[in-house]
Amino acid sequence: MRPTLPDRVLVGAVAGAHGVRGLVKLKCFTEKPAQITAYGPLTDETGERRYEVAVVGTAKGGVLARLEGVTDRNAAEAMKGTRLYVARSALPALAPENEFYHADLVGLGVETPDGRRLGKVRAVLNYGAGDVLEVTGETGESLLLPFTRSTVPLVDLDGGRLVAAPPAEVEP
Amino acid sequence: MARSVWKGPFVDGYLLKKAEASRASGRNEVIKTWSRRSTILPQFVGLTFGVYNGHKFLPVLVTENMIGHKFGEFSPTRFFHGHTAADKKAVRKD
Repeated sequence: MRPTLPDRVLVGAVAGAHGVRGLVKLKCFTEKPAQITAYGPLTDETGERRYEVAVVGTAKGGVLARLEGVTDRNAAEAMKGTRLYVARSALPALAPENEFYHADLVGLGVETPDGRRLGKVRAVLNYGAGDVLEVTGETGESLLLPFTRSTVPLVDLDGGRLVAAPPAEVEP
Repeated sequence: MARSVWKGPFVDGYLLKKAEASRASGRNEVIKTWSRRSTILPQFVGLTFGVYNGHKFLPVLVTENMIGHKFGEFSPTRFFHGHTAADKKAVRKD
């Protein structure tokens, strides 16, 4: 059970230095890499240290950026591995009832309507035919559920659970 | 070479029968199929198929803009497991 949603969301990490003038390669965990700076200032996990980030170009798997106060390669290399977060409240508002952030759904406990535990949401997949929840049971078996109102009638983020009625399977 | 138009779209016959039966029953069910080669027809819209990818049956909820494509296009056989995007949204369909 997950009592509360995290205050801060991981949006990127410093992957390494680029060049000799203090540029860093950022690995972005946002839907579009350039959006890493779209949600306000980036901070560390605790929110105490702030990083002013300016995106200056693209790199394989992310972007090239300039961090305030990082002016040479040594300083850039020292930043390697730094994780960058934004406040959860800075992410755009969602349509009520039917829209959820993947980050919020992953980790929720899954129960059937009669209270039987099925497992936890491991991932949210989408291959062009609607969102699919990958649920992993305690023994490691995996169950794929279409993310529809009939299959997942209740999503209780505050309670850390969702209720799912796995559809019947029709063999050909 | 493209398929001749006079033949019409290819679809496995048993899949059509299963789809009709599923629609008539009105229950929440997944029609399991190995027929990745079948074309998605207008009468499949709103139904959920479990399309085999060589490993498991991936749920494919058919919508209007999928008509004319093949089932296999929505059930990839190879995966890249990366970090989940922090700002990516999932939409629960009705």
